[in-house]
Amino acid sequence: MKRYFRELSVAGALLILLLVLALFAPAFFQPQPLRSLLTREAPTLVVACGMAFVIIIRQIDISVGSQFAVCSVCAGLLAALKWPLVLVLPASVALGALMGAFNGMLVAGLRLPSIVVTLATMVTWREALRWQRQGQFVNLPDNLQWFGLSQSGGQWTLIGAALVVLTLLAWATRHLAAGRFIYAIGSDAEAARLAGLRPQSTTFAVFVFMGALVGLAAMMNVVQSPQVDPKSGSGLELKVIAAAVVGGVAVSGGRGRLWGVFAGLLLLACISPALTHFHVEAYWEKAIQGAIILLAVVADGVRSRKQIR
Amino acid sequence: MSNPSIQRGWKAALLRHETLLLLVVAVEWLYFNSVGPRFGSVDNSFDIIRHSVEIGLLAVVMTPIILTGGIDLSAGSLLGLCAILFGKLWRDAGLSPVMAGVCTLGIGAVAGGLNAVLITGLRLPPLIVTLGTYSLFRGLGEAITRGVDTFTNFPASFLFLGQERWLGVPAQVPLFLLVAGAVWVLVHRMTFGRTFRAVGFAPEGARYAGIPVERRIALAYVLAGTVAALAAIIYTARLGQAKADAGTGYELFAITAVVLGGTSIFGGIGSVHGTLLGVAAIAVLNNGLVHARQPREVAGMLTGLLLVLALSTSALPKLLALLRSHRQTVNPEPIKS
Amino acid sequence: MSAANAPLLQLSSVAKSFGAVRALRGVSFDLRAGEVHALLGENGAGKSTLIKVITGAHQPDGGTLAMDGGLLEKLSPAAARKLGIACIYQQPALFPDLAVAENIALRLESGGALRKVDWAARRLQAVGLLERIGADISPDAEVRSLSMPEQQLVEIACAIGSGARIVIMDEPTASLTRKEVALLFAVVRDLRSRGVGVVYISHRLEEIFELADRVTVLRDGQSVGTCPVSGMTEAGLIKLMVGREVAQLYPPAEGVAGQVVLALKQLGCAAGGVKNVSLEIRAGEIVGLAGLVGAGRTELARVLFGITPADSGEISLNGRSITVASPQDAVGQGIAYVPEDRRRHGVILEMHIAQNMSMAIHSRIFPAAWLRDGAEARLAQEFIRNLGIKAYGPQAPGGSLSGGNQQKVSLARWLATRPKVLILDEPTQGVDVGAKSEIHKIIRRLAMEGLAVLMISSDLPEVLGMSDRIAVMRGGTITALLPGKSEAHAVMAAALGQNP
Repeated sequence: MKRYFRELSVAGALLILLLVLALFAPAFFQPQPLRSLLTREAPTLVVACGMAFVIIIRQIDISVGSQFAVCSVCAGLLAALKWPLVLVLPASVALGALMGAFNGMLVAGLRLPSIVVTLATMVTWREALRWQRQGQFVNLPDNLQWFGLSQSGGQWTLIGAALVVLTLLAWATRHLAAGRFIYAIGSDAEAARLAGLRPQSTTFAVFVFMGALVGLAAMMNVVQSPQVDPKSGSGLELKVIAAAVVGGVAVSGGRGRLWGVFAGLLLLACISPALTHFHVEAYWEKAIQGAIILLAVVADGVRSRKQIR
Repeated sequence: MSNPSIQRGWKAALLRHETLLLLVVAVEWLYFNSVGPRFGSVDNSFDIIRHSVEIGLLAVVMTPIILTGGIDLSAGSLLGLCAILFGKLWRDAGLSPVMAGVCTLGIGAVAGGLNAVLITGLRLPPLIVTLGTYSLFRGLGEAITRGVDTFTNFPASFLFLGQERWLGVPAQVPLFLLVAGAVWVLVHRMTFGRTFRAVGFAPEGARYAGIPVERRIALAYVLAGTVAALAAIIYTARLGQAKADAGTGYELFAITAVVLGGTSIFGGIGSVHGTLLGVAAIAVLNNGLVHARQPREVAGMLTGLLLVLALSTSALPKLLALLRSHRQTVNPEPIKS
Repeated sequence: MSAANAPLLQLSSVAKSFGAVRALRGVSFDLRAGEVHALLGENGAGKSTLIKVITGAHQPDGGTLAMDGGLLEKLSPAAARKLGIACIYQQPALFPDLAVAENIALRLESGGALRKVDWAARRLQAVGLLERIGADISPDAEVRSLSMPEQQLVEIACAIGSGARIVIMDEPTASLTRKEVALLFAVVRDLRSRGVGVVYISHRLEEIFELADRVTVLRDGQSVGTCPVSGMTEAGLIKLMVGREVAQLYPPAEGVAGQVVLALKQLGCAAGGVKNVSLEIRAGEIVGLAGLVGAGRTELARVLFGITPADSGEISLNGRSITVASPQDAVGQGIAYVPEDRRRHGVILEMHIAQNMSMAIHSRIFPAAWLRDGAEARLAQEFIRNLGIKAYGPQAPGGSLSGGNQQKVSLARWLATRPKVLILDEPTQGVDVGAKSEIHKIIRRLAMEGLAVLMISSDLPEVLGMSDRIAVMRGGTITALLPGKSEAHAVMAAALGQNP
């Protein structure tokens, strides 16, 4: 129990929030809006899993929002060129991986701080995209939305896909050697080097993987509407970092579980509808998000200080 | 381990870096002057200065923070929040612009103090703390204005600060020079700068030398908050309005200017005049590209690339030294059995 | 010599220098399969350098290493490990966030990143290894929740699990309880019975007599003797370790001790591991603080300097009770501390020596916080001259100086504060011979000028030669107060916890 304390406390907070909603705003649980909410959060969940890896290995990536926009637009353009979905999807993933590799090269290769590197790439990709698109939306062919399925069918597919990714990755972090290497390196890079692991190459790989997941998530976003907004993904980096930190991924590295991140993401995602139900203006969402990040960081800070005496 | 020739060369390299940067600004200037016919005019020069004062202020006070090995991602958001609160104090609380301005500066100091307390009191990493306040400050701004409220119709006497000339130069310039000069003195002529550097080079070493490390770090963040509030007031006066999205992305420009100006992102090394040159390089580039009929986005993109480039070159000596020391001590390699 | 009867490991006249410091000057040492070979010597005798040569971390400048009669050339850490040489350092290199079983597995497993982790096998392996060393540690416990000795046991489990043929243990019992020590001894004996050669380093003589088959004594980077333990007595070993005469190198004490300057009454700090320390230091007096590594000497200095403030007892200065809650307090009261780790704490390598020297007196030398380069340069020039610092000027970066000169810069920083009490922590560690005697002269001069000096040193001749009185620490408290003209073996015996 003690070992899962951090994750359980998030899950507990989520349950309390849901309980309060069930008592005072049962309308929240109508299937249609609930399904829409989950569908909206499905791509975010995929990106949040990647971000969890990045933070566990003691780095950060704030360029994911821009990567997301670039992948979305490029995927949309390829689809508009009548590329079939089976080709667009890998292309989007590869593009994301490429952008991730650029970050990884600078962080792992040149040992630059990831915060500044990804700050730079964030603005570079975003401005390059604005320059190219000038705010124009990309119109998609008809058969792409919801994979050509019915709306509910498409929504269930996306939710299912996100959960499959989550489950696979959660399994991999626990049962695959590579997953354990990430924890080991985040916990103590020097000890990892002495044990024969390769911190720099692994860091590079994590950034590449982060990018690939962003490419996948972008695709999951593109199929939700008939057009691609070149501004999609703005603020995504904060959302996923918040989900990871709230979900118990320690910014000092080496700690955190994807199930916790999932609970953290749901908790944050439920805040906005909860605010509406309680007639608090939605404009408070960002401030509350910031306060929750700080609260989680402070709580972790106090906890780890106690442990070191 | 430490290579004396590299260390002895640091000051020289710093000089070289700033000379080089001055050269870059000059080349930029000459190039855009030849491309855009009105680029070199006095009016346009003042325009460049007017547009870079706010980022310049943020960059100047970001310099001590980065010297201590920290970072402040919340600067742009705090500018936005302060602009809103200034408008609110003036319009809804009925304060005169001067009184509202003084209160805003106080609010900025308190906001900087929040960063400082979390970073020094709880020993949390500056990166994640200021990422949290980045979101918090911007979110408070949005919440207060409900995302739509805009403050306008400021009195002309206030707008003078941002739009008119005083002593023949844009009115905000003397104020900017005052702040930049004060920070320059603080960093280069006073013991504070010495201790910022010591903390950036070796926080533990500074503690063992009896330096009040926490208080110095806190000073840097409180100063940054106060000056961000000043930047917010000037921003409001320049545009004649305050909105929740004021200063979005300014933290990036400020960090870029500081790093471009030769300040090491790892702390210890750097200068305020280098930062000013960095601001100039970015400002001239931005304005010049408009005159060269390039879209605004190109400037943003180039700024990002410039930051990557500046970082990479600043990391090279350290990386080379690292590789050299690795070769000397022969690292244990993985067992392959 | 055929491989069959060649010793497992043979070192012949191994030498190693770091700049001007000759850490090893011809060490010969051999280790047989199935023996426990103790390595004994004062701190700084060259034990840690010798370990690093055997594990391949350092390349010797001269002499040879051979294993099973085959010469080892250009031994790298990786090659050493492949040959089955394992070392358990005092500072465990473990992953604090991961479970014990996983820590062991990450060291021992090999294979690709995409293989599946066999948790059951990992756990079984950990349980087996922990059982073999008799450690009562759950394989599922997170390493960060373990105590230091428990972490050390995990390290030992890793070494045993890797099937090493040579195991080097560097003071493995320094932080273990009696029960844990007994378990460890059982493990070592088990290793011996399996034909493993164990190099065992410890300051505790009783352990050596209990466990080791042979013992080699190192002194000043040389091996002064190897003999079977059975024929030795404790007194004989101590004599071998201390050996040489205290030469006339040390400046004579001429001053007369004055008033009590610093008085400690039952001082304690739980977090720092210091308890119940009472001591008086007079003006003009050098009190040597002797003891083994881990005895609490540096920790006591850190308490006095306010880095880990005291939580019990009393500090008085010139008869007045004072509180030292931070280094700033200490500086303000006139307590100066020249730290042991020069490169991390003593000097900021990237900054000029003038900047380093003025760092603790900013408020005095720079009125209104305004830098005055002239005054600073004059201060630096003065100290450069007075202390004989070899640098091209006040503008030289600290990192460009040699160890001895860095130490003088660190000393200058604290002398500039005009302290009443000067605490020196290993003032001549890693300093070449010439600079060493210069520093000794400076310390004596300072004492004669009326400073109260507390000198922590692991260099026994230095303690004996410099001190007016000697305080010996053991287990975080002062266990003996001896006159300055004590015999070396008396100090060593007190440090080791023997009754002379």
